[in-house]
Amino acid sequence: MLRVFGSQYQNCDGLSRRNFLELGAPLLGLGLADVLALRAAGANTKQPNEKPRGGKSLIVFWTHGGMSQQDTYDMKPDAPAEYRGMYQAIDTTVPGIVLGERFAQQAKVMKHISLVRSVHHENGIHAPSAHWMQTGHFGPTLARNAAKFPSFGSVIARTNGAHGEHMPPYVTIPKSEAFGYQGAVYLGKAYNPFEVNADPNAKNFKVANLAPPSGLTLKSVESRRRLLKKFDTLRRDIDSSGLIEGLDTFKAQALEMVSGERVREAFNLSAEPDKLRDRYGRHQYGQSALLARRLVEAGSSCVTINTGYWDHHNDIEKGLETHLPPLDVAMAALIEDLDQRGMLDDVVVYCAGEFGRTPLMNGHAGRDHWSNCFTTMLAGGGLKGGQIVGASEKFGGGVRERQVMPLDLLATIYQAMGISLDTYYIDSTGRPTNIVSPGQPIHELL
Amino acid sequence: MSIRHSNTHFHRTRASAYAAAVFALLVAISVAGLANAADDAPVSTNDNVAPPVQFLNDVVPLLTRLHCNSGGCHGKATGQNGFRLSLLGFEPDFDYAALVSEARGRRLFPADPDQSLLLTKATGVVPHGGGRRLNIDSDDYRVLREWIAAGAPAPRPDDPHLVRLELKPKRGQLQPKSQQQLRVTAHFSDGTNRDVTQQSVYLSNVPEIADVDRGGLITTQPRVGLFAVMVRFGDQLGAYYGAVPRAEASLGNTVGNAAALSNIDRHLLAGWNRLGIEPSPPADDAAFIRRASLDICATLPTADEVTAYLNDTRANKRKRLIDRLLDRPEYATYFALKWADILQNRGRGYSTRKQRPGTTLFSAWIRDSIAANKPYDQFAAEILTATGSQQQNPPAIWYRSVRTQQDYVESVAQAFLGVRIQCAQCHHHPAEFWSQADYYGLAAVFSRVGRKGGFTDAEVPTNETIYLKQEGEVRHPRTGKVLQPRPLGGPDFDLSPYDDPRQAFARWMTAPDNRFFARTMANRLWGHFMGRGIIHPIDDARSTNPPSNPELLDELAREFVKSRYDIKHLIRLITTSSAYGLSSVPNETNKDDLQNFARFYPRRLSAEVLLDGISQVLEVPTQFSGGPGVFPPGTRAIGLPDENVPMNFLDVFGRPARTSACECERSDAPALAQALELVNSTEIQKKLTAKDGTVARLAASKKAPAEIVREIFLSTLARPPSPEEKATAVEFVNSESDRSEAYRSLLWSLLATNEFLLNH
Repeated sequence: MLRVFGSQYQNCDGLSRRNFLELGAPLLGLGLADVLALRAAGANTKQPNEKPRGGKSLIVFWTHGGMSQQDTYDMKPDAPAEYRGMYQAIDTTVPGIVLGERFAQQAKVMKHISLVRSVHHENGIHAPSAHWMQTGHFGPTLARNAAKFPSFGSVIARTNGAHGEHMPPYVTIPKSEAFGYQGAVYLGKAYNPFEVNADPNAKNFKVANLAPPSGLTLKSVESRRRLLKKFDTLRRDIDSSGLIEGLDTFKAQALEMVSGERVREAFNLSAEPDKLRDRYGRHQYGQSALLARRLVEAGSSCVTINTGYWDHHNDIEKGLETHLPPLDVAMAALIEDLDQRGMLDDVVVYCAGEFGRTPLMNGHAGRDHWSNCFTTMLAGGGLKGGQIVGASEKFGGGVRERQVMPLDLLATIYQAMGISLDTYYIDSTGRPTNIVSPGQPIHELL
Repeated sequence: MSIRHSNTHFHRTRASAYAAAVFALLVAISVAGLANAADDAPVSTNDNVAPPVQFLNDVVPLLTRLHCNSGGCHGKATGQNGFRLSLLGFEPDFDYAALVSEARGRRLFPADPDQSLLLTKATGVVPHGGGRRLNIDSDDYRVLREWIAAGAPAPRPDDPHLVRLELKPKRGQLQPKSQQQLRVTAHFSDGTNRDVTQQSVYLSNVPEIADVDRGGLITTQPRVGLFAVMVRFGDQLGAYYGAVPRAEASLGNTVGNAAALSNIDRHLLAGWNRLGIEPSPPADDAAFIRRASLDICATLPTADEVTAYLNDTRANKRKRLIDRLLDRPEYATYFALKWADILQNRGRGYSTRKQRPGTTLFSAWIRDSIAANKPYDQFAAEILTATGSQQQNPPAIWYRSVRTQQDYVESVAQAFLGVRIQCAQCHHHPAEFWSQADYYGLAAVFSRVGRKGGFTDAEVPTNETIYLKQEGEVRHPRTGKVLQPRPLGGPDFDLSPYDDPRQAFARWMTAPDNRFFARTMANRLWGHFMGRGIIHPIDDARSTNPPSNPELLDELAREFVKSRYDIKHLIRLITTSSAYGLSSVPNETNKDDLQNFARFYPRRLSAEVLLDGISQVLEVPTQFSGGPGVFPPGTRAIGLPDENVPMNFLDVFGRPARTSACECERSDAPALAQALELVNSTEIQKKLTAKDGTVARLAASKKAPAEIVREIFLSTLARPPSPEEKATAVEFVNSESDRSEAYRSLLWSLLATNEFLLNH
């Protein structure tokens, strides 16, 4: 196995990060487990922007709450009405593949899109399922309980860093999912997502704090940075909780982000032509997708777009009518745009949620939680397009063939991004934990 | 026991005579550790009796042990695949019905027990989402099979029931990387007992120190510290308390005169001796004045205060400093902020204009109470029993944001009793004895709280009148029985219809022998000053989450009661303890320890304190606005009445939303957004460029740069600069053509150091 040891990165004070973490001393407010976790993480910590790296990126459309597969990606046109739902199946540009009629835009770029129709895990509750799908592991059973494993976004941030200077490696738009399972856990706080905290479709969309206040010149920022380096000499070994390490990392990054044009420009949506902005759709999903493209272009490695709440137990048609058309437009425009820019092979596009929804409609014209068999979408990143992996049973329900578990999906994404599947990190108990084991990449797509 | 006096990172003033004296004594004195040898006497069992398998005492514990009824499986409220059990078997009648009557009886098949779905699923013969839980040739299988074969007899009222668990040993001192087998005996109401070691469930609270396996075998790790193992069988709990001292330490073998130590210090020393931990040396005076000023008054010491303190040669200068700080108005303001968090003085709602008078009044009442050093029992009772108009009786404003049965129970339990009872709303608390009767009995205390009048067209109505209704009852959600008001653990209060149950509750809570009230406050304040509670988290007291130093907590609580709940007295006890005066620099023996306070644990300044500190250093107060008009000039962040005052700085640095009584809502975790706020927020740049701020004053000053640099270091870091730092700073100032810009950069860079951002 490849052991990801920390590089002997020299910190501002000349003391190597590894050294002072080994000297370590813990801090209040954190349990011992947290301290160990953070320390374990710190022992392998690299600056996220230590050096620019090449590498692929990931853009995620996260359908928090669970999108219905049977109204979108896994139509059952021949099933009885109570299974079939309200939408017609439509042909796509790939013969033999049909989609729900609200995915008409994606149907046009189907040759880039592959669907995994046999995703399965064994929990039907939002929080543990969201944890399972985003970390690969069954998780806490209450939404308020802390995550046990790092999210795939944080794993990518840690292994690949940002491939553009000063960019945050991992960004969530508009912010992270409410359960708290898009974070870094034992990988270290520096690999938590950077939350945009604003709606990219808002008229005055602006990321607080990226614009330096008036009167502050670059020269002054440089002086301040130099002086800080001289005076920031408080012993690091009074804390091994990750607090001081986190402060150091973020101060360095913040100075870079503010003094460089690069990061601010990456967030500047108004630099895009109106026509292209229209094509992505003048709604939160569309402008988020466009922002995601700008961010990966500038060097972020993972951008997760959290797309509202899909928990349609009642009147699913009403809910889907709100969500599906903008999602469809945004995803199709993104795939097309990436393709036209020659970026599609370098960016994986992934659409998933914690689970799908019951094949049989319930008494409230809705669909309930369903993790036995549902669909996720993958495109780009050099993965084969126009493929269908696995199949559900006749009317939905169980997996008919080729069961795919959450860790298999993560393995596929990591493999496509060039992340070694042998990579492991030390978890909170000091145990080496492989990032995908026992998951296997979906060879049909590679 | 030897102590290494390593030098601290910046130059130290001489340790005060007081601290040195205490310290020397600590080193010299012996206190016996927790050396009670493990009691390994065999447990008596009734091996020769083979009673029939009973549902209550045999089957249900198995369902727990096999995790069938866990919260992730059939024990969750929705069950799993149509089969639902009560969580952890706390409702055996429900479980019996689920097994015997539901699913058309397919789950149990007495005619051919092995074909029962219960067994075929559990053994994986029939596909089971939860996998194989049971082997066909196991004892557990035989127990279940025997019960089914006997016709699945129902629990009868006269069945012996579980009375208590006996744990052997109950506590012990274990070497690192060693093992200890626990033995669990169940005692039943008919006088019988049996060994249930193999049928119990075990959980360690710190697996990194000691883990426990399914059979109750504890294995300690190389790490030193204290741990507890929770043991559950049926509806009973037990806990084993273990200590793993340093292998190389010689424990408690020094001798001396313990009489010269305060009781607090004696208990601290015992804690250190218990594990072979040596304390760090005392903090220097500069560190101490900054620490105490921040912790008591949320205020940085000024340059003059630091200079005067460093030059003070009196023996008891730390104590005198603490007394001075406790007399300052900032003390009351700061602790009012803390209590306004805990008491959820929330400003968010339909109309800030309508909310603000209420939050302001409540905040002022809390501040006045603290300034007057109102006895804590009186403070708490005035809030809980408040009636009348919220305008005329400010403590009644607590009832503004604490409005529902759930709010009453959970806020009171967490704020005043240090207990998280939330679990017991829906089921028995899985890690403590609290039942739904405790939860709803406490709810009944508040069931006659009535409200009238006020502005109600809002999410949080304001300006109501609180009164005692004629009636109002609470029913047990499962049994439907009307519950009488009762405190946690019972028994019911003896009340006439004319009594306000809240009065009875307040009397129970503030009685000197109450086992929650004084301890919770003592632990809360210890946590405030030491960065971590003796019970941690501070509001999660459980037998399965024990205090790291029970004698210390008992001593503090006892002293607090004895002083008639004198909060300042309690603060003096804590801040004059040897632990509070220690350096934060670790040694080999205490660097990993977070349980015994053998050094000062550093923490980040909280949002409001940090913002106020920056304002003070730069001599530019923050202008707060929001709601009706703006706040008066000079209003400090710690003096804001509620959280509904827009200020991005406060939000990114962790200001809580005041939605619960949990202090954990306030977060000090670092984030990129905080660093960005420091680096380039308009707020800080505004203060650096103000016409009447520190920068402008220094730029116009005739003083020599070296003198100014010294003043800047004293006002930001509460210490003079080292010679190298002084040289660097002076050289920088001289090299800059724009003096204002030079001092701006210098001040900014010091405000962004970890030394400034942390209390250390």
